[in-house]
Amino acid sequence: MTATTVSTQATEDKSSSGAAQTRAPAGPRTVLTTSMTYALLALIAIIYIFPFLIQIATSFKTDNDAAANPVSLIPANWTTATYQTLFGGGLAFPTWAMNSVIVTVFVTIGRVLFCSMAGYALARLRFRGRGLLFAALIAVMAVPAVVLLIPKFLVVNTLGIYDSYAGMIVPLLVDAAGVFIMKNFFESIPMSVEEAAHIDGAGIFRTFWSVVLPMSRPALITLVILAFQGSWNELSHFVVSAQDPDLYTLTKGVATLAAGGQGQAQQFPLKLGAAALMTIPVAVMFFIFQRQIMNTAEGAEKG
Amino acid sequence: MTTRAPRPAAIALATATVLAMSACGGGGFDEGSDPTGQASGPAELTILIGSSGPAETDAVTAAAQAWSEESGNTATVTAAQDLPQQLSQGFAAGSPPDVFYVSSDTVASYAENGSLEPYAGDLSNVDDFYPNLREAFTVDDQFYCAPKDFSTLSLIINTDSWAAAGLTDEDIPTSWDELSAVAEQLTTPDQVGLTTSTEYQRLGAFMAQAGGGLVTDGTATADSSENVEALEYVQSVVELGAWSFAADLDSGWAGEAFGNARAAMTIEGNWMIGAMSADYPDINYQVVPLPEGPAGAGTLTFTNCWGIAAQSDNIEAAKDLVEFLTSSEQQLEFASAFGVMPSVESAADQWRADNPDFVAFLDQADVAVAVPNQVGVSDVVADLNAQLEGLSSGDPQAILDSAQSNLEAIL
Amino acid sequence: MSSRRSRDAGGIRGREAAAGWLFTAPALVILGLFLALPILMAAWVSVSDWRGQGSPFSSSVGFVGADNYRGILSAESGLPARDFGTALRNNFWYVVLVVPLQTILSLFLAVLVNRKVLRGRGFFRTAFYFPSVTSSVAIVIVFLFLFSGSGAVNKSLSWLGVNGPNWFADPRGVAHVVLGVFGIDGAPALLSDNGFLSLSWWEWLAGPSVAMSALIMLAVFTTSGTFMLLFIAALQNVSGEVQEAALLDGASGWQRFRFVTLPLLRPTLFTVLTLGLIGTWQVFDQIFVGTQGGPAKTTITPAYLSYTSSFLNNRWGQGAAIAFILFAIIVVLTLIQRWVLRERGVPKRKRYVPDAAVVGTTR
Repeated sequence: MTATTVSTQATEDKSSSGAAQTRAPAGPRTVLTTSMTYALLALIAIIYIFPFLIQIATSFKTDNDAAANPVSLIPANWTTATYQTLFGGGLAFPTWAMNSVIVTVFVTIGRVLFCSMAGYALARLRFRGRGLLFAALIAVMAVPAVVLLIPKFLVVNTLGIYDSYAGMIVPLLVDAAGVFIMKNFFESIPMSVEEAAHIDGAGIFRTFWSVVLPMSRPALITLVILAFQGSWNELSHFVVSAQDPDLYTLTKGVATLAAGGQGQAQQFPLKLGAAALMTIPVAVMFFIFQRQIMNTAEGAEKG
Repeated sequence: MTTRAPRPAAIALATATVLAMSACGGGGFDEGSDPTGQASGPAELTILIGSSGPAETDAVTAAAQAWSEESGNTATVTAAQDLPQQLSQGFAAGSPPDVFYVSSDTVASYAENGSLEPYAGDLSNVDDFYPNLREAFTVDDQFYCAPKDFSTLSLIINTDSWAAAGLTDEDIPTSWDELSAVAEQLTTPDQVGLTTSTEYQRLGAFMAQAGGGLVTDGTATADSSENVEALEYVQSVVELGAWSFAADLDSGWAGEAFGNARAAMTIEGNWMIGAMSADYPDINYQVVPLPEGPAGAGTLTFTNCWGIAAQSDNIEAAKDLVEFLTSSEQQLEFASAFGVMPSVESAADQWRADNPDFVAFLDQADVAVAVPNQVGVSDVVADLNAQLEGLSSGDPQAILDSAQSNLEAIL
Repeated sequence: MSSRRSRDAGGIRGREAAAGWLFTAPALVILGLFLALPILMAAWVSVSDWRGQGSPFSSSVGFVGADNYRGILSAESGLPARDFGTALRNNFWYVVLVVPLQTILSLFLAVLVNRKVLRGRGFFRTAFYFPSVTSSVAIVIVFLFLFSGSGAVNKSLSWLGVNGPNWFADPRGVAHVVLGVFGIDGAPALLSDNGFLSLSWWEWLAGPSVAMSALIMLAVFTTSGTFMLLFIAALQNVSGEVQEAALLDGASGWQRFRFVTLPLLRPTLFTVLTLGLIGTWQVFDQIFVGTQGGPAKTTITPAYLSYTSSFLNNRWGQGAAIAFILFAIIVVLTLIQRWVLRERGVPKRKRYVPDAAVVGTTR
């Protein structure tokens, strides 16, 4: 997804060349190659999709059925025990889900707002220190996330927001890459509209809010997708920023479920069911924004 | 585009933030903690437990409730998802729970870095604890924390498989040879005779029966011939096909393989009682002492204590709570709720009367040895366990040699 | 430069400056607090004897110089050094296998899917890309199930007459297993007596364990979709040029790909390799959720070891030191790779931009 966003901009100007395709006449050799390609693609597609089908099917199986028939897509005896345990049992699954929603909503809003503001300033506003800021931005983007695992805990702890929603949300509110994407986008749109707004006497913030942002829908959607997916799937930050079971997110909760413990059976249907449920929101988002995500390719083809 | 000079910029930025932070008084960890370790008024205690399941959580919660009503304080119980991690984050964050489980193999490292209050010597029931349990929580001659209960390893037998193989009570193994013989007899195409995990926490029982151990009187003895003999015995039964490790039976732990009837015998502790009735109520089983080895009887014991954080504001109240929780009556409540054995001798007879089927666990208390508790031993044991995973095809001497050199490095 | 202009233009520029700082302030504060500052704090912890009690800046915490670094690098310190060596070995094999495999597979998928005559392109793209959007936690659970001893993978292998290993419980090194097939079971003295970072060369040569191989497949499975999209975009950029070149010399499909398309894909290839390298040296989630370092420590990685040293064993200094060494490894390898794959004649700026943006979002 990430990749898409970035390359969209790189592709746009050249896309027309890709459209100039001539179709080769279909000789017997081409037919053979084509059907082989289809067979190969179909095989790979099955390998890519099958795990998810098994996952869903197994979540409706009993533990023994899952162990005995790991490949079958039809449960020998259907059971919704998994989902009853997840929603009615001793597990705090609904709490995890709620925490994931809270964090994701705040992080997504925060990133869209802060990244676009910073991106706009870096792209359009001239002020002393802008170059320095941009350089710093590039520098922090190069730091691998795992290196920050321990220190992030130290900072969150020192600031007194350890074990709270604030500690889980605030550090994720800005994403350097998001700023970068927005800066690139703002640089690609023409100045003229803003200049017109300036002449009409609109202030900088007003111009940004009522003129620039509404024009930035594609980039903002990209940012929403990235922020949503990133915060929904985030694990390591939540591991180090909180320990209260009431603050577990889906990733953290399901991860502990997966690790199991002494005296716990493997319970694959339960784990797979939990994993399937936590995939639903990103899957829904994926299918809603599929066009946007695949934009690079489609856009280029249609020229 | 500025592609150069990112480094000075980042440093400048970071320095500025550090300055800003220290200016507004970061690092206020010690605020609010009373140096005497005792706040006035009713205390609010937090208890963090590493629970084996809902039964244990509920029982501890009920006990804390009872104490709260009796003492006028409040105690809240939280079941940890990952106890060591939550504890160390709590300590580093300056907000550890007041009372928490500490296992005997980690007590020394918590004691060493000053996390634990050494309170247990002050308890009124201090002499009632089993001596070897007191020993397990004693570091540098300080009895740090009160043992909350204990478990030992026993041989668990599926009685239906036993009968199906034509075995009777006469055949209950009392020696290594007898154990491998019955394991072989119990092995069928669907079921292996014996299963355990590969950990030291199970196989170590055989080292004890051979007269070995990882640490003897403070010196490393991991590479002793007794230990090699024990592991070679294990290997020989594995080679017969009569002993499979739990992971090879697709099981998270040996109890699961036993409960799913993939194995006819296993070696586990008291926690099996709860697991069997909760997860595998249809399996009939009996519990017998482990067989004797070349050096006689031996098993391992596992125990946790009630640790009290040295940083706690309510140490006195916490001590009162621990005294309540370790009383004979309360421990018998726990025992009936989740199968553990009381850590105090005064409760032994009552426990035997209550649990006639499981007396084998308690009968072995005298021959049970604890996992060594020196600082760093838990890492060595973790490394040994990692190597023991390759025991079926590995060289016992080489495995123990590496444990020996790791132990020598820390002792 | 900007200062001179601001003097010229007066008021508007002044307002712009204020607005500029105002607009960037949230990003500045948050990135400074949670990206820049942590690095400094960790740098201090890595040279201190802080044991996880109270503040690392309190007066009782002392400076110990390079002790923590020595503790994980010098063979004399025993277990911690051995664990670190093992973690590097494990991650090394992971990188060496995942990076080429994911690059080749994603390029292959992109070429297949990019064929103009193909029907159902959208479907295939979606299918190949979907694993990339799901959370690592969910995918790991699925793989744990698929690769369990009697799981779907072994079941499928058994139809082919192959007796699959008990994947996630099998600590044997793949290279050792292969050598074993040829009757080489032990190490020559030269390899077993000498070594690097507390591991003998024979242990370094073990290859990834069977368990790690399953994680390698998982990584390839989940990343190939993203990289495929990158390659598709690049292919569409170059397809016109390819067409022309093909018309000129009537080259075969493979020749066209090898001598025309591939060189044109170079910038994308560079991006994919860089991202792959950076990402694979940071494996954490999969280990945390799936294997916790086992079996037999064959899946511990520096990132995971850094976490366990600090959060589970209270050796915060060593944990921070591991993180810094990992940081250094990533930086050095990226620079080396940049140098090896450097190209002349393409303006620096052009390939720099997408590169950097994508780097940032892989975390």
